[in-house]
Amino acid sequence: MRVSGIAFLGGAASRLLPASIPFRFFGAAAIYHLLAWIALLAGATDVPRFAGGLGWPLAALHLVTLGVLVMTAIGASLQLLPVATRRPVESHRWPAVIWWIYTPGVAAVALGMGLPAPILLGGGAAAVSVALAGYAVLLARNLLGADGMPVVIAHGSAALGALFVALVTAISLAGAYLGVPLLGRGMALDLHVTFAAYGFMGLLALGLSYILVPMFALAAASDERRARQSLGLALAALLLAAVGAAGVAPQPLLLAAVGTGAAAVALHWRQMNIALKTGMRRNLGRSVTLMKIAWACLAASLAAGLGVALNAPFEGMAALFGLLLIGGWLLTFLLGVLQRIVPFLASMHRAPGHRRPPTPSSLTAERPLAIHYACHLTALSLLMGAIIADSRWLAVAGALTGGAGAVAFGSFLATVRRRMFAPEDTA
Amino acid sequence: MTSAEAGIRTPGRRWVAADGIHIDVRGLSPPGPLVAILELVGSISDATPVIVHHERDPQMLYPELAEIGWTAERIDSDPGEIRLKLERAT
Repeated sequence: MRVSGIAFLGGAASRLLPASIPFRFFGAAAIYHLLAWIALLAGATDVPRFAGGLGWPLAALHLVTLGVLVMTAIGASLQLLPVATRRPVESHRWPAVIWWIYTPGVAAVALGMGLPAPILLGGGAAAVSVALAGYAVLLARNLLGADGMPVVIAHGSAALGALFVALVTAISLAGAYLGVPLLGRGMALDLHVTFAAYGFMGLLALGLSYILVPMFALAAASDERRARQSLGLALAALLLAAVGAAGVAPQPLLLAAVGTGAAAVALHWRQMNIALKTGMRRNLGRSVTLMKIAWACLAASLAAGLGVALNAPFEGMAALFGLLLIGGWLLTFLLGVLQRIVPFLASMHRAPGHRRPPTPSSLTAERPLAIHYACHLTALSLLMGAIIADSRWLAVAGALTGGAGAVAFGSFLATVRRRMFAPEDTA
Repeated sequence: MTSAEAGIRTPGRRWVAADGIHIDVRGLSPPGPLVAILELVGSISDATPVIVHHERDPQMLYPELAEIGWTAERIDSDPGEIRLKLERAT
């Protein structure tokens, strides 16, 4: 049986989901990415001293977290985790159903926060919670009984646990706006930020990195013992932060959580650095530069989190913490990863029947990526300047520049998708 | 008889046979198989085929092979094994 490498992927034993599943999540994320910058523009006046509360900055934050980060995480994890677990996703219908519930739910949450309209927010939060619970079940079923890459599976399982805490606290916070809080607002907020950003999304990012970074660099698998130690420290940091948030010796425990988290990050970064330095492929371009910047922002976010915990005498500390954690670490990391894996996945998914499989490099679009790279980093710098200088105009400039970057990134995704389905001679 | 043929496997082991250079990547943790195969393929400058002994469909390998101008062909194998013949595209 002679088949092209890519056509061969269509076999019944394939662990690949149909291309329409991950790409619908990536497409929605691209649109929410642009909407996030527009929401930030709408709330630019409040951005430099933002410290929570309904309004467009909060909507922008959740358009990034729910609309871009979690949206992409669902699509990417359902595609990549089966590689680690060696088990296919059991249902192809569930991810599509999840998308149909989740995508309008995110829009309702963002509008409910921005307008503000608590009832819309509550309805959106309910839809998002149902969709994420469905995703959690799908992921848990794939992780149960998995027999590959134990470190990735452990990170995935821990991320699922963190997702549960993030969801319960999210429901409590949304319920508070409707007059039915489940937990005290301060505790719910601290737990939500910690478990959604560092817990669910952070652990998923760290876990998938153990597949992706060695694969990008063509390096040996990371040292499993070190990776387990890093995960153990990260879980200890989350636990310390949770107990601190519950009001038990909050400052000492938060200090301990930051220290333990920093040790986890250092161990993880060392593993990634070894992969990048020892891999067969050294010239990894903009994508890995973005990932390195993201790792630096992750460490900086811990320092800023310490500043928040210690009530540092700087009014913009909460906004700076949010920018470093969500924009600097998670969003920058995701965009770095996505620009590398999307052409790769598109190449794997190219419909059978083509005489020659397309190469990832023939499917990508370098110019939009170059524009996005410049815009994204400039936007983050401008927003940082806006927070430090308490400047509305720098926030406006940052939002406009970030929006231009989002358009460029969307153009990259659209180009890959068009080339993926193009006739053979034009691909 | 080679150790691979005798059922004693060393992950990443290579050997030469009449049909090409064989590599057994069974038992390697991802992305070990990908790295080992691409390392071998990258070291071949002529038309010698590579026969890969794998325990699963190496989905991540195909885009990488396409990028360096190689193709994959599935060939007969023992139960529980996926065997691929990799050749430079003509």
